[in-house]
Amino acid sequence: MESITKQGNRRIGSSIGIALCWAASIAVAAVCLFIIGYLVFQGWHAINWHFLSSDPVASLSEESAGGVRTPMVGTAILVLFSIVLILPVAIGAAVYLAEYMDERWWITRIVRIGLETLASVPSVVFGMFGLAVFTVGFFKFLSSSGTEGGSMAFGRSFLVASIVMGVHILPFVIKVAEEAIRSIPKSLRQGALALGMTKWRTIRKVVLPAAAPGIATAVVLGMGLAAGDTAIVWLTLGGTMTMASDAWWRVSNWLPVLRGAGSTLTTFIYFNSPAGDGNSPGAAFGAALVLIVLVLVLNLTAQLLFRRGSKAGS
Amino acid sequence: MPVHAEAAVLAPLSGGPTAIDLKERVRSTASDRFMPYLLGAAAIFSGLIVTLLVFFVVQKAWPVFHAEGLRFITAGGWDTQLEDAWNGSAFFGVRALIAGSAFSTLGALLVSFVLGLGCAIFLAELAPAWLRRPFETIVQLLAGIPSVVFGLVGLMVVVTFIADHMVPGNSGDVVTEIPIGGACLLAAIVVLTFMILPFFVTVATDSLRAVPRSYVDGGLALGMTRWRTIMRIQLPTAAPGLIAGLVLAAARGIGEAIAISMVAGAIAFMPNFAHGPLYMLLEPIRSMASAIVENGGEAMDVPSIAAALFGLATLLLAFSITLSMIARWAFGLFSRRMGVVSDRNL
Amino acid sequence: MSGTRPSVSAIRKDVPVSDTFMTADPRDTFSLLEGMLSSSAPRVRDGVAPAIFEVRALDVSYGSKRVLHDVSLELPEKRITAFIGPSGCGKSTALRCLNRMNDEIPSFHSRGKIMLAGQDIRGKGVDITALRRAVGMVFQQPNPFPMSVYDNIALAVGEHEGRIARSTMDGIVERALRQASLWQEVKDGLKGSALALSGGQQQRLCIARALAVKPAVIMLDEPCASLDPISTARIEELLLELSTDYSIVIVTHNMAQAKRISDKVAFFLMGRLVEMGDALQVFEAPARSETAEYISGSFG
Repeated sequence: MESITKQGNRRIGSSIGIALCWAASIAVAAVCLFIIGYLVFQGWHAINWHFLSSDPVASLSEESAGGVRTPMVGTAILVLFSIVLILPVAIGAAVYLAEYMDERWWITRIVRIGLETLASVPSVVFGMFGLAVFTVGFFKFLSSSGTEGGSMAFGRSFLVASIVMGVHILPFVIKVAEEAIRSIPKSLRQGALALGMTKWRTIRKVVLPAAAPGIATAVVLGMGLAAGDTAIVWLTLGGTMTMASDAWWRVSNWLPVLRGAGSTLTTFIYFNSPAGDGNSPGAAFGAALVLIVLVLVLNLTAQLLFRRGSKAGS
Repeated sequence: MPVHAEAAVLAPLSGGPTAIDLKERVRSTASDRFMPYLLGAAAIFSGLIVTLLVFFVVQKAWPVFHAEGLRFITAGGWDTQLEDAWNGSAFFGVRALIAGSAFSTLGALLVSFVLGLGCAIFLAELAPAWLRRPFETIVQLLAGIPSVVFGLVGLMVVVTFIADHMVPGNSGDVVTEIPIGGACLLAAIVVLTFMILPFFVTVATDSLRAVPRSYVDGGLALGMTRWRTIMRIQLPTAAPGLIAGLVLAAARGIGEAIAISMVAGAIAFMPNFAHGPLYMLLEPIRSMASAIVENGGEAMDVPSIAAALFGLATLLLAFSITLSMIARWAFGLFSRRMGVVSDRNL
Repeated sequence: MSGTRPSVSAIRKDVPVSDTFMTADPRDTFSLLEGMLSSSAPRVRDGVAPAIFEVRALDVSYGSKRVLHDVSLELPEKRITAFIGPSGCGKSTALRCLNRMNDEIPSFHSRGKIMLAGQDIRGKGVDITALRRAVGMVFQQPNPFPMSVYDNIALAVGEHEGRIARSTMDGIVERALRQASLWQEVKDGLKGSALALSGGQQQRLCIARALAVKPAVIMLDEPCASLDPISTARIEELLLELSTDYSIVIVTHNMAQAKRISDKVAFFLMGRLVEMGDALQVFEAPARSETAEYISGSFG
């Protein structure tokens, strides 16, 4: 009799536990969907052609924050520059880690620990690192002269922000790309080697093409990270909402724009939220909706590419 | 060259093996000799960037550590010191900022551990097959939401809710020396919870799934219920993996700057237990990371402030390196327990 | 592959029956049947072929594990040699020594001498890519590259010939595919993905790929292990055709297959070469009792 009751208790315990797991999951899903729904609901009104095609206005009054054209351009510049800058290094490192390195070698261990540590460094520290390095006078060509006109560089520009952002996303891109390269079956490598292809030719002609979807996943994930980061941009691109030149599309303005400060969607949101100096929540929500759509599209692309890659790999 | 190649390849394939010359250099192999070094340089460079990072940040922070030593960490009063620094004062104490980071991160860890473990068990064991993919997508979606968006939504929803419904008496009530207005430790914990949760859930789910099926079957064969096997067999086996996930989540939480800066009140107030546990949650805080972004603009022109901010960055760096080492250790433990010979889990 | 081999008593009881009979298409079955029945006895070819490979006192170990002991053999030119023996006997390892594929394994160690057409394949100045070009290899699992049928072959050729005019390359691809009896099936889909081909077609594409770089020797490591009987028969037929121009070495578990296609047979057991001789002699009158046991066990 006692054993039956005990079992009964256990069964109730199980049911409660299972119910709690369901509840936690439903709560988390609800929060996620709420955030997105809330952004759509709040940001919908702000978004119109004027909002997308006009530039931010340097104004402290509510509802005169202007539009998000230059912040969108800023996000595009930052995302593309940072990924293009680091892609050769990232793929090179991923290939080396996946194909050449002996895991028992002490240098391998150091490189792996270094990459893991780098991945765990907060982005705000990367921002400070960028300021520490690129305010050195030598790097004046990347930004303008410091405000005091002295020997220091200003240290805040699209070029600086792209480099720092690139370093920030580097370990993530390497990791995903390495996994992609490792997932290519050994039989393909053997097939190529048996045809008399050298190791490097095998990698270039067979392994890398086969791993292309996985490497594309890494690139797109890296782009999503770069698009969503605020701290690095805030510190190394500066808190100004406008670009060095409003006519950024003119070739003659490209260099000044790249060497100048500016904004991205994330810093535009930060600046215009009630916590920032701009305090114009309508504009912040509009920009947040644009940003979240961009980031979600990037992440979904990454997932699709990843699935395609894993299908081809098997 | 094309003519030669054509002649060579058009030679009949039949009629005996072509003369075999093993010393023949078929293609230029310059890139074969050269590429591994180039790739190796890329890998080693990437692995050593972190040392550059430590070097530059610590070097810039040196003045403040040199002048103050441990008092930089143990003294309080950041907000007024910051004001004074514009007038030439150069003393900083970041105790309240450390406390702000610690309280917000630990609170968020606690909540996201409970919630996240539920999600992980659900994903790994309980969810019906058709629900798994959508729920995984939702978790990844949550991980992809930028921190500034979390900050914005937290500010407009969570902070407003706390101000309207939880702050006792009239809003703006001054109980101690600080105004209570909704932006507070509690808001930081709520927002941070959902920011770090997906990272914990992902790692925890993978750890639970990595527990060999035979362990579970063994439990079931002993007459244990599905739930009991989860609690008694899978969770203990996966424990190091769960710890690693928690540590990674902690590293993210402690480094979060923007969202906390937006919802936590941005006042370097030392959360005070004497005010009661609930009231303490409603008091504002400032974290190390948020103090950096809030003052990383013009204030950097003041050398003493710059040094203090680099000092904060050094502390953050120390925390994140320590946490990543702990995570590495926990993953190592987990891998050995699962019989996986690999240390590439992070 | 060996083990459960159904006997088709309605046809002929005393003939070792291969998997080939287990087919779906009756017409194919019939034509194959005829071919099989005529070649079911060991092949005998006249004349003594000179050796293309000479292996002298080959010892191989992986780390501390010894896998080949003192193996010496000669592989005849333009004949088919079969390496047979139970799993783990070292026959695949022996094969992989011939094009130095084992060099890719870090713990691999070997001693002894392997001569290809009079040259030491581990001698000074030997270019491993030239060796592997001369000694083509086909693997147990078909491993076409994840690109088009055409590019699979063009890639292999381009590796060794450099840039080639498009029209020339077209000709090479076509000839390689024809040699591998694949042309008729893929000529309209050369730009299609090689992964869309059936397993047997993929394996013939791998053979075509190996042929395209004009090797002297083709080695096959259980090429039919993952294929259905029809595809297996096609590949056997193909190997017989190719053996007029190429020296072929095949590792197989399938005694019936070895008997059908090989001129010479080498029997490996526990890392040692137990016996090597003409296929007829080894199958009909093995000199060693282990060989007799293995063959009768395999067939029985």
